[in-house]
Amino acid sequence: MKWIAADVEIYAKEKDYIDTALISLIPITIADGAKAAASGGEFVQLIVNEAERQLKGRVFLFPPFAYFANEQREGLVQRLGHWTRQLMEDGMKHVFYVTCDDAWKEYETQLSGRLWIVPAVPLQNMDESYKHEIVRDQTSRLLNFFISQWS
Amino acid sequence: MSDKHRVTRRQFLNYALTGVGGFMAAGTLMPMLRFAFDPILKEEAGTDMVAVADVKEITTEPKRFDFKVKVKDAWYESEEPRSAWVYKDEKGEIVALSPICKHLGCTVDWNTDKEHPNQFFCPCHYGRYTKDGTNVPGTPPQAPLDRYEYKVKDGKLYLGKAKPRGEA
Repeated sequence: MKWIAADVEIYAKEKDYIDTALISLIPITIADGAKAAASGGEFVQLIVNEAERQLKGRVFLFPPFAYFANEQREGLVQRLGHWTRQLMEDGMKHVFYVTCDDAWKEYETQLSGRLWIVPAVPLQNMDESYKHEIVRDQTSRLLNFFISQWS
Repeated sequence: MSDKHRVTRRQFLNYALTGVGGFMAAGTLMPMLRFAFDPILKEEAGTDMVAVADVKEITTEPKRFDFKVKVKDAWYESEEPRSAWVYKDEKGEIVALSPICKHLGCTVDWNTDKEHPNQFFCPCHYGRYTKDGTNVPGTPPQAPLDRYEYKVKDGKLYLGKAKPRGEA
């Protein structure tokens, strides 16, 4: 499911089946490291979109949790915790975060959802077929992670 | 050498001019002709059928093929990825199944559930389908998998729209 009216309508009807929230954590900056951040964000978006396509009957892909790269982590952890609590209260059983920002690794224990960090890949310099290969590979790892968490 | 076979300077220049001129004329005319005939030469199947695989690659074991179709969504035209599970049945006929689970639209996989081998399996809510796409009663899906319209041309498999079984 995506955050669009048609899918929300299905969600309202099939709430019992759609029990997994997927949120991408996207750092933003236009100063140093902007290009790396943007390419990481692009890669994360490709992966979560593909994951949603394959598991759309159980996974609800939310709009990205975006933040400035230099924001206080504690504040972010709190805000993300709030999102997660709210989603759980409203019926989600699993909440997954996907990010390219490995600074989250340190805070993993403070998060109530499960964290998945994708490696930094310079997608820009790759040819199309290789790019597909990498996105597909990363997506299938992510899907296996979901499936292992479900059972 | 007799006079007959002698090429005069005038003749030689004439030949050379016609030759070179011919090439030049061909150079300008060819693209024009190509433009004029272009609509006829266009791939027939190009409009809705998409080339997906070589027929040689298809075996009796379902294999997944990925391809892309053009989709128009409101004002925004894009290429959307699609997949198909393709195999040959006992009669040697090609079967191309849509991997979209009829329950809530997840992508089904072939032969991944160890307890139920040789079935299509949906990882989301454990829906199952037999090899021909029929939903297994007692699992969430209520209908068989859709089948793609297909045609074979020049050894290539073309897939069209996925249609509910009975219509395709």
